[in-house]
Amino acid sequence: MDSDSFRQRGTVDIQIAYKAFAGSHGKLLALRDILLTINPGEFMCVVGGSGCGKTTLLRIIAGLETEYEGAVFLDGKQLTGTGLDRGVVFQEHRLLSWLTVHDNVAFGLAGLPPEERSREIRRYISLVGLDDFKYEYPHQLSGGMSQRVAIARALVGRPEVLLLDEPFASLDALTRMRMQQEILRIWEAERTTVVLVTHDIEEAVYLADRVVIMSPQPGTLRKILPVHLPRPRDRTDREFVRLRKSVHDELFSPGSTAYLSLENF
Amino acid sequence: MSAVEQNRSVIWNTSTPELTAKPPRNLGRIWIPERLLGWIIPVSVLLVWELFALLGMLPPNWLPAPTVVAQTIYQLAVAGDLWKHAGITIARVAVGFLLGASAGTLLGGLTGSLPVARKLLDPTVQALRGVPSIAWVPLFLLWLGIQETSKITLIALGAFFPVYLNLSVAMRHVDPKLLEVGKLYRLSTFQMVRRINLPAALPEYIVGLRSGLGLAWMFVVAAELLGASSGIGYLMVDGQMTGRASIILASVLLFAVFGKATDWMMNAVGRRLLGHRAR
Repeated sequence: MDSDSFRQRGTVDIQIAYKAFAGSHGKLLALRDILLTINPGEFMCVVGGSGCGKTTLLRIIAGLETEYEGAVFLDGKQLTGTGLDRGVVFQEHRLLSWLTVHDNVAFGLAGLPPEERSREIRRYISLVGLDDFKYEYPHQLSGGMSQRVAIARALVGRPEVLLLDEPFASLDALTRMRMQQEILRIWEAERTTVVLVTHDIEEAVYLADRVVIMSPQPGTLRKILPVHLPRPRDRTDREFVRLRKSVHDELFSPGSTAYLSLENF
Repeated sequence: MSAVEQNRSVIWNTSTPELTAKPPRNLGRIWIPERLLGWIIPVSVLLVWELFALLGMLPPNWLPAPTVVAQTIYQLAVAGDLWKHAGITIARVAVGFLLGASAGTLLGGLTGSLPVARKLLDPTVQALRGVPSIAWVPLFLLWLGIQETSKITLIALGAFFPVYLNLSVAMRHVDPKLLEVGKLYRLSTFQMVRRINLPAALPEYIVGLRSGLGLAWMFVVAAELLGASSGIGYLMVDGQMTGRASIILASVLLFAVFGKATDWMMNAVGRRLLGHRAR
């Protein structure tokens, strides 16, 4: 999947020694020894059970978590906080209820001449298929539409990396499948590097160039699985099913700690 | 229409505005439009009251007939007293509310956006809030005299607290998830306040303005009762001194009308500001 090797920007280098949270019983280790390089234009999915640190990992890349041992580099430059070079979509849409779809998307854009600015906004509203809903308010939109607006807001500043934290987890199954197709279409149009965190194995195999499997307590990389299937992928295809099973086995195999819950400790 | 259908139509009619006005309802034999139902009790009370007064069953200097109260208002209007007194009262409320609400907005906005300002100011404001505002009257009279300054200060004080409190609390309790969005786009503290905290706090702020206005009306009555030579509150005192209950009742009615009218105006402004937003 290196058809986009012309694109140089968007390499994410993750070198995290550990990340700890202050818990009620002292320090709680959330991540340990995360060494990972995400290639420019790559679609990377991170799967794991709850508490495996996958969201923490994404928040570190986003710059929302800054207290950790290690470093994250974007195109060789160490990241020290949030930045417009990374777009983020959360599980909840996090739109501003007092702004229209247009103005919510505009929120993600700063410092352009007016004509160019409004062209960019229109382009991204169009990209997520909401031309007819520019002047609606968030409460007038469905869950899927709200997430589209959130994606447009994340992309409108043309970031090098798009970070998605379980973006479709709160959508119904059919909407989720449609949004999975949509995010692929958008990614193919934009060719940004994408990191998508999910607990949905099928979603990961359907979308990713590489699937990163994490195990919890502390969150570590368990395995990285390349998916060499052409897109659009068929969820009933034999190879697809086999890959899905191998991710599943990796998470649930005897001796695997990937899905151990807190009670076991 | 069966009884069940009738019941259902009552439920629908009360909940959907476009249906409330139209179909007349058959209450026994009299046809009464639904929207007039709320008038039945007040109109009946007024009629019975008037009837009892006509029959001489109510002492007129205690409880004059509604027509007498209406006549009193008419006479006050013709003589020009009504406009003079109402004008002064409205001016006091307007100036007092404007001052109090402005101070509340300023300090509420400050404590809502800067933790340092909150730690510095909020304990003092909260302590002062513990004092019932009317309790300041003797001090205000002593310091500021019986003229306008003391009245307007009292009204401003009443309007200040709800505006301050609502704005300050609402700005501090903005969903941290939205603030994170601001952080992603590297907004400065000032931009964060202007683009996220303030608009997010707007609905609560408007509620604060409305209760501040309500309190401004409450305190103008107190101020004018305690010592004034003009204003609707003064009319009330005058009515009490001269034993004319009709003037007191007329004043009560005027306060009700003005209070309701300004609240309605504030509400309309609030709706405009909130636009199409949810909630």
